Amino acid sequence: MSRYRFAILLPALVASAGLLSVQTAEARGQFVRGANTSVNRNFDNRGVENRNINVNRNVNVNVDDHGCCDHHDNWYYDHPVATAAAVTTTVAVTAAAIGSIVHSVPPSCASVVVNGIAYQQCGSTWYQPQYSGSSVQYVVVVAPR
Amino acid sequence: MKSIQSRRGTASWRAVPAIGLLVLLTTAPLGCAVQTPDATSTTATQATANATVANAADARPVDVEAVDADAVAALDRMGAYLRSLKTFSVKGDSTFDLVTEEGELVEIPGTLDYQVRVPDGLRMQVRSDHKERDVYYDGHTLTVYGPKDKYFATVDAPATLHELVNVAASKYGIELPLADLFLWGTKQAPTSALGSAAAVGPATIGGVATHQYVFRQGATDWQVWIADGAQPVPRRIVITTTTDAARPQYATTLTWNTSAAAAPSTFAFTPPAGAQRIELVQVAVIEEKSP
Repeated sequence: MSRYRFAILLPALVASAGLLSVQTAEARGQFVRGANTSVNRNFDNRGVENRNINVNRNVNVNVDDHGCCDHHDNWYYDHPVATAAAVTTTVAVTAAAIGSIVHSVPPSCASVVVNGIAYQQCGSTWYQPQYSGSSVQYVVVVAPR
Repeated sequence: MKSIQSRRGTASWRAVPAIGLLVLLTTAPLGCAVQTPDATSTTATQATANATVANAADARPVDVEAVDADAVAALDRMGAYLRSLKTFSVKGDSTFDLVTEEGELVEIPGTLDYQVRVPDGLRMQVRSDHKERDVYYDGHTLTVYGPKDKYFATVDAPATLHELVNVAASKYGIELPLADLFLWGTKQAPTSALGSAAAVGPATIGGVATHQYVFRQGATDWQVWIADGAQPVPRRIVITTTTDAARPQYATTLTWNTSAAAAPSTFAFTPPAGAQRIELVQVAVIEEKSP
């Protein structure tokens, strides 16, 4: 049953490529976790397993990581996955809240450099890209011009 | 030679009850048991060593009786050899599991390419259909670069590779894939952390004679195929996340050049035309209540 539903999801993901990033984000939100890529994780070795590593999520009140786990950055898939679905809510709002973070921007956005800083301009909304772990995320910022 | 024979003897002794139990429980063909020894053989091996161990969750506390001395010795030997390398390169042919909300696994194939100069040079490339990243470290700075969108971030880095592995993870949330390659043979990969250790037996990986070992450690069950002979490098590594009910795996088959010299420019990042610098955000560490 689950397998069948995923078979439907894949074409949907492809079809949404030219549409709003909302759909892409939702599709990617299907992935909630990934495998560990090392055994001797830094956090385990220091005896601080009970710490929660939070990669800049506290900026956005809309992000809900289900109170779970450490960050989900990985090297083989573009998005830290747990946050993607919740972030969708922010993207759907026409005027995205300043400080919101998304993991992708619509393909229609323009790459713009203002005063040496890289932005993505999507209509009246401006995003500033940043690396969070190995993943690029986009913070909604005040229009720089 | 003597030690290898000793391990082989241990391995066959271990493997027989493991496979026997598997066949008994699932009536799976023998070939299948060899292909996927992970959960069942580990559990069976542990059950052999300690009949009171009922399941994976119960086994999490260190069980000294289940730690096979030959397997630990092989791991120590591999670690010591890895730490003896001065310049090397290693390529990995990898699969990485993602987990859907429904708990289904989706495998992402990819490659991993490390060039290393001990103690202060590292270059890494990871490639998959969904993500490409380059990492540069030259003893002074750490750079993350995405060749598709051409964003790069550069931050100050500690003086040694060993410190870098820790700082990258704790300060920036960047956990280098197979960071173990830099930690085995050091205090940060103590064999005391092993919940169980067992020798499986001889195996051939990419035409190379190896011995396979299975371990249980923290949130993972992991397996390593260590090359026989004077260069005991890991030729294959499989890491299963056991704290996740879906048990996602990261698996990689490694090809080594243990004396690969690299020009200094290999480790220094020069922004390509059109590359734009962005920030690398620091992680916030949230203290949680004790268990």
